[in-house]
Amino acid sequence: MNIENTKAQMRKGVLEYCILSVLQHEDAYTNEILSELKDAKMLVVEGTVYPLLTRLKNDGLLSYRWEESTSGPPRKYYGLTETGKLFLKELDLTWNELHEAVTLITNKKSK
Amino acid sequence: MNKTININLGGIYFHIDELAYEKLRRYLDAINTSLSNDPYGKDEIITDIEARISELLSEKIKDDRQVINQHHIDEIIKVMGQPEDYAFDEELFSDKKNTYQTSHSSKKLFRDGDDKILGGVASGLGHYFGIDVIWIRILWLILVFFGGTGFLIYIIFWILVPEAKTTTEKLQMKGEVVNLSNIEKKIKEEFKDVSDRIKGADYSKAKTGAQEIVDTLGKVFATLFMVLGKFIGILIIIIATSVIIGLIAGGFSLGTFEMLGFGSEFAQYPPFFFKSTLPIWLLIVFIFTAIGIPFVFLFMLGIKIISNSAKSMGKTLKLTLLGLWLVAILGLIFSGIEYSTHTAYNGFHTTNHDLPNVITDTLDIKMIGNDEFYDSKSLRKRHGFEVIVDNGVEKLYSSKIKLDFAKSDTETAFVKIRKEAEGNSRNAANEFAEQIEYKFNLTDKKLQLDGYFLSNLENIYQNQEVEITVFLPVNSFIYLDKSTKTYLYDVENTDDIYDDDMIKHYYQMTNEGLKCLDCSEIIKNNDNVNVKIDVDGIDIKVEENGNRSRVKVGENILINNEHWILSI
Repeated sequence: MNIENTKAQMRKGVLEYCILSVLQHEDAYTNEILSELKDAKMLVVEGTVYPLLTRLKNDGLLSYRWEESTSGPPRKYYGLTETGKLFLKELDLTWNELHEAVTLITNKKSK
Repeated sequence: MNKTININLGGIYFHIDELAYEKLRRYLDAINTSLSNDPYGKDEIITDIEARISELLSEKIKDDRQVINQHHIDEIIKVMGQPEDYAFDEELFSDKKNTYQTSHSSKKLFRDGDDKILGGVASGLGHYFGIDVIWIRILWLILVFFGGTGFLIYIIFWILVPEAKTTTEKLQMKGEVVNLSNIEKKIKEEFKDVSDRIKGADYSKAKTGAQEIVDTLGKVFATLFMVLGKFIGILIIIIATSVIIGLIAGGFSLGTFEMLGFGSEFAQYPPFFFKSTLPIWLLIVFIFTAIGIPFVFLFMLGIKIISNSAKSMGKTLKLTLLGLWLVAILGLIFSGIEYSTHTAYNGFHTTNHDLPNVITDTLDIKMIGNDEFYDSKSLRKRHGFEVIVDNGVEKLYSSKIKLDFAKSDTETAFVKIRKEAEGNSRNAANEFAEQIEYKFNLTDKKLQLDGYFLSNLENIYQNQEVEITVFLPVNSFIYLDKSTKTYLYDVENTDDIYDDDMIKHYYQMTNEGLKCLDCSEIIKNNDNVNVKIDVDGIDIKVEENGNRSRVKVGENILINNEHWILSI
């Protein structure tokens, strides 16, 4: 068992939730999403995000619009759809439950 | 110095050098492959990725004239991640349970255009099932020859299965992981291939259809020969294996000699071993090695013929085996020389013994054996030897004795006994000869000669023999007992009677040699007629078609027991 692999799996498991959370308050273009995730050390390489964004969009959780940029070609701005917002709320709940559960279990273990 | 290429990446214009371009292209190729499980979003994802890469590159380029090099691409890849990182998510987030599928779909059935005889179907199947393509081809041939179904199936495969054209497809065909390093490796191989092909381009372009058919036929024959070669390889392996197993099974038991038809004495005291300064076990190991190692090499050769991918022996191992083999051969040569020189010199030892009172009476010549050593009834001259026990000591028993008669120049009779042996020096040979134990005795009118002699067991294989010559004064008489039959050797006699026919007759010594006193002369004209002339007269026997006739003419006798009457 490769520890790096396990870490990556754990991170990727919640990546979907994180992306939706990043877009919770305002729309963002890919670069912004990426930097926010990277700052939080949620992401090691950027490549992982692209297929995920496309899938979320195809599943109707995200939508995007093109916006002109001063420094180059137009940028893709992603935002949550209504379904996406509901989905995020569900995930929030699940995450809290999960967090509690994990905390409970790991604390028990450390005692 | 490097060529630069202008590219449009995500809507931005870049100068990029050739190597960096190749790298970037391969990277995008690989991502494309990684995403192939998700055909719907693929193009969109690629576009997004390209856009992002162009964005990252723009950040790095300060000046419009600056050229993107490999280093930049490496940095991009570091940020973006390896192609595998893209694919990973597909499994994780996909609703379908395609984990199993992906592990399988990593290997796809393509025709292998790089290793083809007709359409590359066989090599493609070989890659797919992970077996050597030759087995598939053999199967095709069998199917073609038994009913021709193979041909039909082949055509169907040829039509339905696509040829692996892109690098990714070729990697998938071989089931190799589609990642950057593999693609890079593959491309390098292909580049070499292509450059090779370009060198021979003029020829390939000039090929007509007929030539291609001939080429194809040639390839088919080449395959047939290859198949034949494999069979030969299998044969070689079988032979080599059985020889090696045989050596192991039989090598350590000297009983093998007996199986090969040598006598038990030979097995007990094999001449080659017995006379060697090297210990016997070492000689056995040498023989084993000298025969076995070439077969080990033969075995490896067979394996290599059958499978191209078989690893050959390490160089060290090869040299070690070769060295061992040389040592064994040298050891055997040494022993061989030693063995061949151990009988290089002849030696002898002669003694004379007077035989009194011979002239007055007929001397009865007889060979006698010794029941303690050997059954006397079967006493005869033999060339080999036996090991017997004489008073608790093992000795060599041999009956290689020659008996001859000669005229004595004096009035007395005597026996000359000449013992002979061979050795690796004159002295040794003489000594071996002297050590031969031989006896005879003279009683009254009987000369009883031993039909055998003994020698020390250590003197084995020295080719000992004994020559007895009985010297008789003129006019003395002898009688040859039947026991002398096999021992008589080129005895001079006035009637030129063969040695074998001399026994059971009386002889008188004359100046010309022995003269038979009671021998009959047999004239055999052909199978049917037998004429015998002796002291009794003439005896004629005729046999024809089962009818027998006999006419005997004596001094005063005429016998006619059949049809004719003969008048004298």
